[in-house]
Amino acid sequence: MDDLYREQILEHYQAPHNFGTLGAPTVSRDGRNPNCGDQITMQLEIDAAGKITDVAFSGRGCAISMASTSLLTDELRGKSLDEVRALGTPYVMELLGITVGPARIHCALLGLETTQKAIDETPAR
Amino acid sequence: MTLTTARSTWTDTAGNLDPHKVRAAFPILATRPGGRPLHYLDSAATAQRSQRVVDAVSEFLLNHNANPHRGAYTLGQEATDAYEAARARTAAFLSVPAEELVMLGSATEALNLVARSWGRANIGRGDVVLVTEAEHHANLIPWQQIVREVDADLEFIPVNDVTGEILWDRLDGLLKLKPKIVAVPHVSNVLGSIAPLAEIAAQVHAAGALLSVDGCQAVANMPVNIPATGADFYAFSAHKMGALFSGGGLWARAELLAEMAPIETGGDMIREVRLRDALFAEGTQRFEAGTPDASGTVAMAAACDLIDEFGREAIHRHEVRMLDRVLRELPAALPDVRILGTQNAAERAGLVAFSSATVHAHDLAEILDRRGVAIRAGHHCAMPLHEQLELSATARVSVAPYTTDDDLDALFAGLRDAWKIFAR
Repeated sequence: MDDLYREQILEHYQAPHNFGTLGAPTVSRDGRNPNCGDQITMQLEIDAAGKITDVAFSGRGCAISMASTSLLTDELRGKSLDEVRALGTPYVMELLGITVGPARIHCALLGLETTQKAIDETPAR
Repeated sequence: MTLTTARSTWTDTAGNLDPHKVRAAFPILATRPGGRPLHYLDSAATAQRSQRVVDAVSEFLLNHNANPHRGAYTLGQEATDAYEAARARTAAFLSVPAEELVMLGSATEALNLVARSWGRANIGRGDVVLVTEAEHHANLIPWQQIVREVDADLEFIPVNDVTGEILWDRLDGLLKLKPKIVAVPHVSNVLGSIAPLAEIAAQVHAAGALLSVDGCQAVANMPVNIPATGADFYAFSAHKMGALFSGGGLWARAELLAEMAPIETGGDMIREVRLRDALFAEGTQRFEAGTPDASGTVAMAAACDLIDEFGREAIHRHEVRMLDRVLRELPAALPDVRILGTQNAAERAGLVAFSSATVHAHDLAEILDRRGVAIRAGHHCAMPLHEQLELSATARVSVAPYTTDDDLDALFAGLRDAWKIFAR
């Protein structure tokens, strides 16, 4: 059994959840790791009360960046923007079920960081 | 003068470079990072340093150190002599006159000097600068900046969408745009292919343009005689030759250097300074503002000595043999591999980049690291080329005089590990 490339991570990498685009996203944000070329687009649908109602992402990247983003998107629906703003590295590690070393931490955090940037850019209403 | 060793020190009985003998000159190769043997296959990013280079730097710093070009005392003269002798040694290595070799902090600095000095003076509104789509960022962004500043146009020699190979047969048509300068890599840091510079230079010159060459991936891996390339500017990096991280150089003909303005000003590049103006030094010195990197240049000369002891023909022969094995055996280890560049190892220098739709380059690098195999994963500072090929990242294996069949065996074993994990 491989610690890093566990069954769950490979499943999410090979068949990511919530992969695609939304019909009418409230906000859409690109995220990149400039040193590796990992690239995703995160789309969120946010209701008037400031809760995430739907989510989708697309892009290309390594197993860690794709799986962590896929796992994250499964958790986002129903969360408030403030709840998502408060998420950090430990939350992503918990989702992945492993502790990713410094060489891959930017891969693991790409999905969360892009989501948080998307939220920052969401127009106030 | 460096103590030289007989060529047989580094060769086998058949006269070929013996990488096992070469390894003894590079102490780091005997270390065990993370408790694993080191299979260093990332020399295209930075070459490993030999004991010889480190000793040369120690000898200079501990016994001859002073600020070059300044001291009226004996030690100061020793430092000046060491610096200028090292410049001359490096110039001889590249078959150019020492008076035409500008010593700089890096190849990036050298390529910026071409764009910001020659480019700013010679490129105007509506003029064309021609580069390849495969360009390393250091030979692309300086031109993007100048072109934006003077409202000129940047045009591109395209690449094959599948293999990434630069389509040199398109050059003739693009030269009808009458570019002022054409910037190309001698050896692409992603494709590994050796550009046919003599033919390119003839075409470029016939169209009235100058040719600027990024030689970073060429100088340590194959014989390089700059005048024979036909280049007008030739840039190279010290650390990719096994010298220090700081250091690089730019060669240009004396008359071209004479008409170029310095982009950095300060001490050591002047002839006369008054409060409101200054007269600049002539020759290479006008581009070397501030205290020169004497220790880095001494290291570069020592690296040249060692490379010449190995023999540049012998190095290229050895590396082609290693690359040929990589090209032949990759598909068996990684069944869906997509190899960039030519399948003919003899047309390459130093490296092979590839991708797999099943295993991302980062995951390959991570899994290879478990066997102590160090490769590069990413876009290798050539993002536009990767976009063109619709790849987010590639894995790059690069070889050196110290690369052995054991290193490649470990590489292939690691690639099979990765395939076993991901192909399910």
